[in-house]
Amino acid sequence: MPQFDQFLRRIIFLFSRKRMERELAEEMRFHAQLKAEKNLDKGMDSAEAHYAVRRQLGNVTLQQEESRRIWGFPRLESVIQDLRYGARGLRNSPGFTFVALLTLALGIGATTAIFSIVYAVVLRPLPYKDSRRIVNISTVSSMFPEFTLGQSIPNLNDIKARAKSLETIATYQRTSLVLTGTGEPEQISVAAVSPNFLDVFGVHPMLGRAFLPGDEQQKNGNLVLLGYRLWQKRFGSDPQIVGKRINLDQKPYTVVGVLPQTVSSFYLRGYGKADAIVPLVVPPDQAKNRTGWMYLAIAKLRSGVSLARAQAELNAIAGALAHEYPKDASQIKFPVETIQDATVGGDKRELMILLAAVGFLLLIACANVSNLVLSRGLQRQREIAVRAALGASRTRVARQLLLESLLLAVTGGAAGLGLAVWGIQAFHALAPIDFPRLDELRLEPHIAFFAFMISVLAAVIFGLAPAISASRSDLTSTMKENSATVSTRQPLLRSALVVTEVALALVLLTGSALMVQSMVRTLRVDPGLRTDHMVTAEVTLSATRYPSEDAQLLFTQKLFDGLRAQPQLTGVALSNNSILEHSTALMSFDPATLGSTDKEVNLEARSVSPGFFSAMGVPLIHGREFSDQDRKGSPDVVIINQSMAQRFFPQQDAVGRSIKFSAQDKNFNQIIGVVADTRDIQLNAEPRPEIYFPILQASFGQVRIMVRSSLDAAAVSDLLRNSLRSVDKDEPLREVRTMTEVIASSVADHRFRTWLLSTFAAAGLVLTLIGIYGVISYSVAQRTHEMGIRIALGARSGKMLLMVLGHALRLAALGAAIGLAGAFLLMRVLANQLYEIKPSDPVTLVGAAVAMLLVSTGASYLPARRATRVDPMVALRCE
Amino acid sequence: MVRAASKNELLPGTLEMLILQTLTRGDMHGYGIAQHIQEITDDVLQVEEGSLYPALQRLLLKGWVKGEWGTSDNNRRARYYTLTAAGRKQLGIEAENFNRLIEAIARVMQTA
Repeated sequence: MPQFDQFLRRIIFLFSRKRMERELAEEMRFHAQLKAEKNLDKGMDSAEAHYAVRRQLGNVTLQQEESRRIWGFPRLESVIQDLRYGARGLRNSPGFTFVALLTLALGIGATTAIFSIVYAVVLRPLPYKDSRRIVNISTVSSMFPEFTLGQSIPNLNDIKARAKSLETIATYQRTSLVLTGTGEPEQISVAAVSPNFLDVFGVHPMLGRAFLPGDEQQKNGNLVLLGYRLWQKRFGSDPQIVGKRINLDQKPYTVVGVLPQTVSSFYLRGYGKADAIVPLVVPPDQAKNRTGWMYLAIAKLRSGVSLARAQAELNAIAGALAHEYPKDASQIKFPVETIQDATVGGDKRELMILLAAVGFLLLIACANVSNLVLSRGLQRQREIAVRAALGASRTRVARQLLLESLLLAVTGGAAGLGLAVWGIQAFHALAPIDFPRLDELRLEPHIAFFAFMISVLAAVIFGLAPAISASRSDLTSTMKENSATVSTRQPLLRSALVVTEVALALVLLTGSALMVQSMVRTLRVDPGLRTDHMVTAEVTLSATRYPSEDAQLLFTQKLFDGLRAQPQLTGVALSNNSILEHSTALMSFDPATLGSTDKEVNLEARSVSPGFFSAMGVPLIHGREFSDQDRKGSPDVVIINQSMAQRFFPQQDAVGRSIKFSAQDKNFNQIIGVVADTRDIQLNAEPRPEIYFPILQASFGQVRIMVRSSLDAAAVSDLLRNSLRSVDKDEPLREVRTMTEVIASSVADHRFRTWLLSTFAAAGLVLTLIGIYGVISYSVAQRTHEMGIRIALGARSGKMLLMVLGHALRLAALGAAIGLAGAFLLMRVLANQLYEIKPSDPVTLVGAAVAMLLVSTGASYLPARRATRVDPMVALRCE
Repeated sequence: MVRAASKNELLPGTLEMLILQTLTRGDMHGYGIAQHIQEITDDVLQVEEGSLYPALQRLLLKGWVKGEWGTSDNNRRARYYTLTAAGRKQLGIEAENFNRLIEAIARVMQTA
């Protein structure tokens, strides 16, 4: 293998280069000495002898270089030389380099980040076997047309018996149980499931076994399968856990197995994660109740069955059931949806729009880079011609340009990847906590590679353009040339590019401006209740430990008394529902009971404690608040808000009137007070008719605590915990937060969208800036000669400036006009996310357009200035 | 390039062959090789240093000669080149090719 030996020797040389060169130099010195000695022998004098030798030897350095070239890797070395030259060139034009790098980084970074997010959330299959065949089957009934319901057991059994397109159909229910015994009591989210539940997902327990039919019959006591996370966190990954007992809701459960880490969360309808699963127990009355739509159904389609076919079959079954049970199943429908779609839900469309926007951004970035590289190439045509004239081969010139572009693309790509990593982290931090599949988010390497290659390609292809044109043109004319020969063909493509960019950026800018204004208005809104210095927490009473209403009411009373006894708490309010967390309880009310002809309406309903309104700073308009005497056994009383009073008791005093909710209702409730309207559900929703019940009169099993104190939040939460512990030491306190945090997270979603859109608008704006700058620079560079002549003929520099700016502004104005039209049409999709601002808000639209024009002017100012500074002599001398 | 006394240039690769042939006489340093070629051709072929050393580097790289530092006649450090087995084999090939070429040229010269 002589070739290989040679290669080895080259490598050795590479590492002992210094020594080899020293030896060669010594050898040649020795040679020269011997030669000189010979000359001396011939009778020359010493000086002459040495001189003769030097003359004969010639250029020693060149000879050494020649020898070195034999040993080295000449091609590689010249590549390195080109690279070094390219780097120097880029360093020498920092403006160009910075702008090109920024464009590449933005393009590659944004694309990679957004593609990664969309891929993780929408496109990547859920981590189950054949996950695309797993579907939710829900119910839509004419009884509750606006809700998507679960299945009733009789309907579920009929579907199971009739549907041929389903391989398995399982059912589950969400519950939450309190885990006690190890550390603080903790509320865990649990799915109660039918035995074939895990078959649907194709999941096998990591330890122990799955549920078997009959497990639910409680002969062996309660059983539980632990989720991986819970097993790890609460049981220290105990490998011997199977067979042990744990306490859930004060009842012993035997652990039959542990689920694998890969399915640490099931994407179930209604909630994201299940910490554990237990067998579902169906009470006998529900097993026969065809309208008990409380059981969620999840099924696996037979392989080869399309979603459409399954839906068609279920439609047929629904039709048959509606016919068979005209009362309980009238107009029933069973919508089928893959869990993949269900998980992503409404976010899917939004992400796809985002994807389209970002794809566009990448294209623009590529176009910008091409434009920049092209205009730089144009400016360098003479340099290239000179190099060619000095003997550089065309391939060498092309290679040099190629390497320079590559250098630019690779550096920009690296910066872009950094930006993408940062962007994904930022997304992680800013995305609403319930954003689906957030934990699966990571940088997708193949997407990064794709974006990188696109940009590299753009840079390289356009980077080579000057080399190609240089090799076509004849050298002398290029060297003599300047812009006397300027082509008059309009760079139509470039202009179109700028117009598009301006239009797109304007759309993004408008969207972001609208969102920001809506956000500001939302936060500025007066909720009608005081939330300062307030801490909120929740206790959910479990039905097993507090089975009777009396027990729950007693607990509520004790907790309330305990809290009121704390001197540090200046206000104590209890409710059955949270404040400002978008959670609402509705109650239907038939105005016919008041003699009105209005249709049945839904009222917001809330149970509150005595002193609730004064603690929350809600003005009492008339009547009184609830007192400790409004409890079970005493007359049923209610308080209504102003909206309700005005709607149903116009120009009358509502206080003292009695109402019932439907004609069948035997019970009357006396209205004892009217309070001001509040936005207690969410900030950006108009107050609706609302009715309040005394929390001590009827229990809903859930107690939300709101307390005001001058202590800090941590001290208050300790206080709350202590109060709870003295009432019940095994009941956990959940979701302890300050009201400030609640408000912040109630707008988190909105803030996130605003942030995302603003980022895009900023990126779009920067790219547009660069695009305009590139195009105008190019046209100025092309017209240097013309500018010189104009100046020589006496054109004022102000006029020159206006000429160039005018060119830029004409393009920008066209883009802005298109962008405005686009924004006007597209902003409608934002309509339901905007609060107190119309999508076509004229101030916003015009403001964004003006901002866009200002940016365009700014971007073209620098090249315009360059045009006015053209030295006419320099421009003309090139003739 | 070996500079011939006349303007004629040698065929490419010839210098390397001449060096290899010279080294069959024993180890020699660079100057010795140049001197030998010059003497034996009665100064017709003068080896230029600018060609000699690159040629020696090429031979080293190809593994046809080995260079080792030793002491010259008058006690000075010099690099001595030795023919390797591969070099000897290569010399055989090149000499044969060269002879064939010379014969061919000679035949042309005789008939013309």
